[in-house]
This record gives sequence, structure tokens and C-alpha cells, in this order.
Amino acid sequence: QQNKEDFFLLVCRLHGRYHEMAPNIVPMDYTKDPDVKLPIQLIINMPELKENPFKERIVEAFSEDGEGNLSFNDFVDMFSVLSEMAPRELKAIYAFKIYDFNTDNFICKSDLEKTLNKLTREELTAEEITLVCEKVIEEADMDGDGKLAFADFENMISKIHLR
Amino acid sequence: MEPRWAESGRDGPGDDGQWGHQPPSSLFLQLPSNATLRFRGPVAKAWGAALDQEEPPGFPPDQDGGEAREQESVPLKQLPLCMVEKRRLRLQEQQAAKKWSHWERWRVEMRHLREQVGGALLYAQVWRDSLHRIEGHFGTGIQSYFNFLRFLVVLNLGGALLMVGFVVAPNAAFEALQLNQTQRLENSMVNSSCLEYDPSKRGLVSYFTYLMDLLSGTGFMELTYLFYGYYQNSAVDFVGFSYNIPLAYLLSTLAFFSVCLFWIVRRAVHLLKRSLVSENGALNTYSNKVFAGWDFCLTPGTMVHLKHNSLRYELRMDLEEQSLRWRMAQRSPSQRAALYVLRGVLNLLVVVLLGAAFYCIYLATKYAQQSQDSDQGQQGVFVRLLVAYLPSIVITVANQLVPLAFGFIVRLERYPLSLEIKLTLFRSVFLRLSSLLVLLFSLWIQITCHGDPDASSCQICRYNHQQHPCWETSVGQEMYKLLIFDLVVVLVVMLLVEFPRKLLVTHGPAIMGRLWGQQEFLVPPNVLDLVYGQTVCWVGAAFSPLLPLLNTFKYILIFYLKKLTLFSNCRPADRTFRASSSNFFFLLVLLLGLAIAWVPLLYSVFALQPSQACGPFRGEPTMWSTLLAAIDALPRVAREFLQFVGSLAFAVPLFLLLCILMFYLMVLANSYSRLVKELKGQLQLEGRDKVFLVTQITELS
Repeated sequence: QQNKEDFFLLVCRLHGRYHEMAPNIVPMDYTKDPDVKLPIQLIINMPELKENPFKERIVEAFSEDGEGNLSFNDFVDMFSVLSEMAPRELKAIYAFKIYDFNTDNFICKSDLEKTLNKLTREELTAEEITLVCEKVIEEADMDGDGKLAFADFENMISKIHLR
Repeated sequence: MEPRWAESGRDGPGDDGQWGHQPPSSLFLQLPSNATLRFRGPVAKAWGAALDQEEPPGFPPDQDGGEAREQESVPLKQLPLCMVEKRRLRLQEQQAAKKWSHWERWRVEMRHLREQVGGALLYAQVWRDSLHRIEGHFGTGIQSYFNFLRFLVVLNLGGALLMVGFVVAPNAAFEALQLNQTQRLENSMVNSSCLEYDPSKRGLVSYFTYLMDLLSGTGFMELTYLFYGYYQNSAVDFVGFSYNIPLAYLLSTLAFFSVCLFWIVRRAVHLLKRSLVSENGALNTYSNKVFAGWDFCLTPGTMVHLKHNSLRYELRMDLEEQSLRWRMAQRSPSQRAALYVLRGVLNLLVVVLLGAAFYCIYLATKYAQQSQDSDQGQQGVFVRLLVAYLPSIVITVANQLVPLAFGFIVRLERYPLSLEIKLTLFRSVFLRLSSLLVLLFSLWIQITCHGDPDASSCQICRYNHQQHPCWETSVGQEMYKLLIFDLVVVLVVMLLVEFPRKLLVTHGPAIMGRLWGQQEFLVPPNVLDLVYGQTVCWVGAAFSPLLPLLNTFKYILIFYLKKLTLFSNCRPADRTFRASSSNFFFLLVLLLGLAIAWVPLLYSVFALQPSQACGPFRGEPTMWSTLLAAIDALPRVAREFLQFVGSLAFAVPLFLLLCILMFYLMVLANSYSRLVKELKGQLQLEGRDKVFLVTQITELS
């Protein structure tokens, strides 16, 4: 019973955050099934995501249409996966989707280049970027197709000691 | 509206690969290995609406009741589905649950309970908020230091409870209740000069002497619960059993060491489990940095900007190291020979430095001990304090200066950067732990007259009873002084070096900021300080039962002091300290400290004659004989079993068996790594097969 109450409070808090981003659009009453989606511009300005170099990709990965418009369901989904209680395997699945910029279910060289540019704010030279991308693919690609499928990514992530 | 990811032909530019013909990705999407990535349907019901029982499109097919049971073996939390699907599945599960047997229901309840307990434990950790704040501002590297400190506090608290509960508290209770304590051994057979021991001062003593006694554990502090000498070799008889004080003392000390060993090993194994899966740890550096380099826990502010810079710096350093290795491989043989000679000379220099440091420590200890029992009251208080703390001062100075020299030397040796860091760390660890051993060795020399039982001062009592009438208390006092001095040094450095530096850099002339810069919180030296302090506590715990408790308070104080200096004076490091592998490294160094602490303990218990004038083992030939006597008093079966376990007939076959087991495990590990290599090759082949087949299918259709 205690679990359900905590859960309910958590959802209320999340709804409060969702509502305060656009009080005109988001209703307080959700029982009538409102079809409300917040655009990506509002969500990436949240303080938790503001400094994140991958904020656009994160929001896009959790949206239904792939454009970054989040309904409340998607909003709750996003925070549940980003929380520290979410299991590692689930985080790996979403991390793969986030790093896959062209959404073809592979992390290819261009995806890696975009990742690197976002990480270092485009201050590495082109040659350095190419070198690092080649090294990453060399380290992680297992089936030899020159790009990372989810299996390659997951295997490499499991080897990385996070924390 | 079809989601973007389902459209075909959306590979990135230049990804033709080795096959010339581009296989459409829509076919790849339908492969089972990609099943986890497809999940979001185009339509989602809003929160709170009545649940629709229709299956939304895009959901993986064949999800009926039979599959639902398989689903529950994977907890709902772990499925990458959107909320609507999860709710639907939960409803299905609840409906199916009515048909379950007792066993299934119990299993599910156990799983829920475990999840709840795990969640609750995560919230119940002490100092959780502080660690989160530190992580947010400085990253996980520095947070690992505070995590380690927290672990040490908990470890010391556990040990303190053990020692206090079995040694100090019963003694205090017996005295308070004025219970009758029966002396266990008669001391009449012993030479009376060995029994002379009176640490309390005579006559008028100045006020400063009390301060001096507090800081060095002599005088009024000596005959208290703090030190070994206060306890008596007696037993208290209750109805049914008798509480044997020396036995309790010995067993609780051994239990304390064993509990620490078990706890640290368990934690190290838990941390090692994740990192041992990979065989080529060194080859993961680039992927590590690209995919796991960004610290998502960083809160907005200047730290984010610094993190970008540090990532860039690290990637550049790695590329530079790469080119350095390539250049090194190009060197000619004569250049290589010259480099090796240089490295040999520098290593010799390192050994000479270490030898000089150890000799200074030995001299300081000898001088301090000798002047302590020559004139007692004729020098000034400050001079006496200085002399009493001389070994601690010399050790601390050596521990600060010699690593600086190491850092300079290692740069001349021109190793790759990662090896440089490891080598400096290894040398510093060796220096710190060995300096403690040298201190103990010089004490041993005085106590046992260079190990010679026939020397003039050791002939009567088998130890130097003139200088050390109660030698265990002397050792305990040295460790107590080291502990106090360590804390004082932390305070002094913080007040006199770090705060002024911060003030100078922020408010002083701009050139100071450029030349010196703000303080950087370096994790390895701080961790080595902690390990050194913990080793001191362990060595002293056998001779001073309250030392673990004091150490707990000291570490709690250090936590708050370091947190204060971190937030006020420091900036994050340029080169990020990889937290995970270093967590294991910290525990390894801690284990090394524990191993070093076992040596004096075992030697004192088995080989040295306990003081006859004081302590719970007075009159016994060794400390271990108490246990032997207690075993003799056991019933016959237990006694014979324990005697068998302690004999060679058991130990030698056990040792051989362990050797065989270790050899077998090494061979097993070797064969597993070979198997993994073969499987990797096979995986590549399968990948090529898959692409070939998909190409053929698309060509035929």
C-alpha cells in the first residue's frame, strides 16, 4: 500500500512539472483522455536536460513520432528510464537509440562523428574525429560490418565499468 | 503515420560496406535480434483514460496469455515498452495470476519484496545527499574518494563495536558492578624487577604535562581502557560459565581482523565482477570515452564547460600517446639501449631515496624512544612534544616530499602516460606502507634488543624491561600518536595552505592565478592517506582496543573537512579519474595495508613474550598459549578435533589441495579466454553470412 502511495505522489510531481512547462495547454484533469503533446523546444529547456549534449536525441527517442513531441505518457517513460533505479539493460537499449542519429538501427561512422562533435562542442579537428571514430568501431564491432549493431553496442557497454 | 525508423533505405552516407549492393534496412528491422528496438506504436492512450483492450499496431505479435507468463519472468520494469503496453501487460498478469499455483504466487511476491528492499536500502545509505551533490559538481571520479571514505567509516564502526562489545564494555561492567575477579596465574615465579611498572606521575605536575599526556598517550592516559596495559589477566565467574578476559581480548582482535578481511574481499569481488568480464580492458579506452565519457549527473554551471574541455583534453592525450607509442617502436637499437640504461640509473636513484627515507625514520624513532626515558621534566613542553612526535613528523615529511621526487623522476624515464601514473602510484604506495613497517621494525629492535635474548638488558625478562616495562602499550602509544598527527596535518594543511591559496588566486594579482592556479583535488594521494591511516589503526588495534572507535570519529571529521575544502577551494581535475577501475584499485591497496598489519599482529601473538607487569597476558609465555589452555579445557571430542586442525597432518594436505585448485582455475580461465576468441571469429563469420543471405533474399524477391 505504501508503495502505491509513493508511486502516486511521484506521478503527481511529474505531472506538476509537465504542467508548469505549458500551463495553457496541459490540463490538470487527465481522465477525459486529452491528446496533448508538448513540443521539443519546451522540454529541452528543462533544467535537468539543459546542459545535456544529447538532449534533442533523448527527447526524440522517447517520442511516438520521432520528432520530439512528448505526451505525458512519454514524459513519465523518459524519466523512469533516466532514473537510477532503471535496470542497466533498459538503459542500454535507449542509449543505443539515442546515439543512433539517423535512426537506422545501426551506429555508423556518421553517427559517431555527430556524437563526438556534441561531446566536445566541435573543437576537435576533422582528422582527430576520424581517428577516434575508426578506433571506436575497431574496438566494438564484432561482426565486421563496419558499424555497430545493437548486439555490438550492448556487448561493449557491458564491458565498460560504469561507476 | 509511419515512424521515421521504419522507413527503408535510411543508412548514413558512405556506408556501403564491402558488398557494393545496399541491403534495405527494413528487412534488418524484422530480424529477431532487433526486436527490442521496435516498440513504440504510433498511438498511445493518455494517462487516466480507460484502457483499451485492442492491440495497438507495432507491438510485437503473438502476445497471448501463454507468452504473458514468460514475460513475468522479466520484470515489467525492464521491458522497453511504452506505458500503455506495460499497463496492459500488468492487467493481463493480474488476470492470469488468479490461475497460478501457490508456488508461482510466492515466487512473484518474493521478487517484489526483494525489489522493495533494494530500493529502500538505496535510500537508507548515510551521506547519500552529500555524495550526490559532490557527484553533480565534480563528477564520479572525486565522488569515488568520498564513497571509499564512507566505506572506511562503516568498516571502522563495525570493528569498534566488536572490540568495544567484547573487551571494553565487559571490563567496564565488571568494574562498575565490582564483581570478583579471580587472577588466573600466580606471578611469584617471576623476577620482581620485571614487574615494576608505574606510569603515573609523582609529585607536582604542571598543567601542560596533562596536555602532553593527552596528545601522546602517556601519564594519566596510559592506565586507561585506551591501552593494553590496563586490562588484567583474570576471569570473572558467572553461573555456568566464566568470562575469560585474555581469551576475549585475543579472540576479538583476531575476529576484528578476519571481519575486515572478509568485508573488503567481498566488496572487491562485487566490484571486480563487472570488470572481469572483459579480457582486453586496455583496448576499450576510446569506446569508453565516447559512449560513457559524458557524466550525465553533472548539474548545470561551469562544471559542464570544464567537462567538455576535459573530454577533449583526454581524447587528445590518448591520440598523442598513440603517436608516441608509434614513435617509440621506430627507435633504433642504440637509442633503446641508452633509454634502458637511463631507466636503470633512475630506478637505482629511486631505491636510494627510499633507503634514505627509511634510515631517517629509524634514526628518529631511536632518538625519540631514548630521550623519552632519559630526562623527563627538564626540557620545555614544546620540545618534549616535538621529540615525542618526531617519528610521525619524519614519516609525514617523507610521505609528502619523496612522491614529488618520484613524479619528477618518472617524467625523465619517458614511459607512456598511463604507465607513468601507475608507476608513480605504485612507488608511493610502497613508500607509505614500508615507512610504517620501518617504524615498527625500529621499535622491535629496541624492545627485543635486536632480537638477541642474551643481550644485557633483555636477559632477565626476555624483553627490554627498563626502557619498555609495558611494551605493548608503547606500540599502542606510537600508533595513537600517528593517528592524532595525521588528523592535525589534515587540519593544518587545510587552514594554512589551501584556504590562503584560494584567497591569493581569487583576490590577489592575476599572475598568481596563471602561475599557480586553483587547487585541484587529486584523488590518488588522498586515497593513499586514507589507506595509511587505516593501516595505522589496524596495527594499533591489537594494543589499543579503543583505536578503531577513535578512527571512526577521525574519518567522520575528515569527511566533513574534505567536503568543505572541496567546495570552497578546489576545481575539478583536468584529467578525469576513471572511477570504476580505480575503486577496485583502492580496495586492493587497502587489502595490502591489511596484509601488512597482519604481520606485527601474528608476530606479537605467536613469538613475543607479553609484558609481565601489565596487560591481560601477564605471566603467560606467549599470547597464543591462552587459547591453547582454553582448548585444553574443552570436552575431549572438540579438543582432539581442534588439535588435529592445527597440526601439520591437516595443514600440508590442505595447502596442496589449494595449490591444485588454483592451478585448475588458472587453466580453466585460460581455456575460456581461448574459447572467447574463437567465438568472436565465428561471430564475424555469422555477421557476413547474415548480410549475404539478406542480400540474396532481396535480389530474389
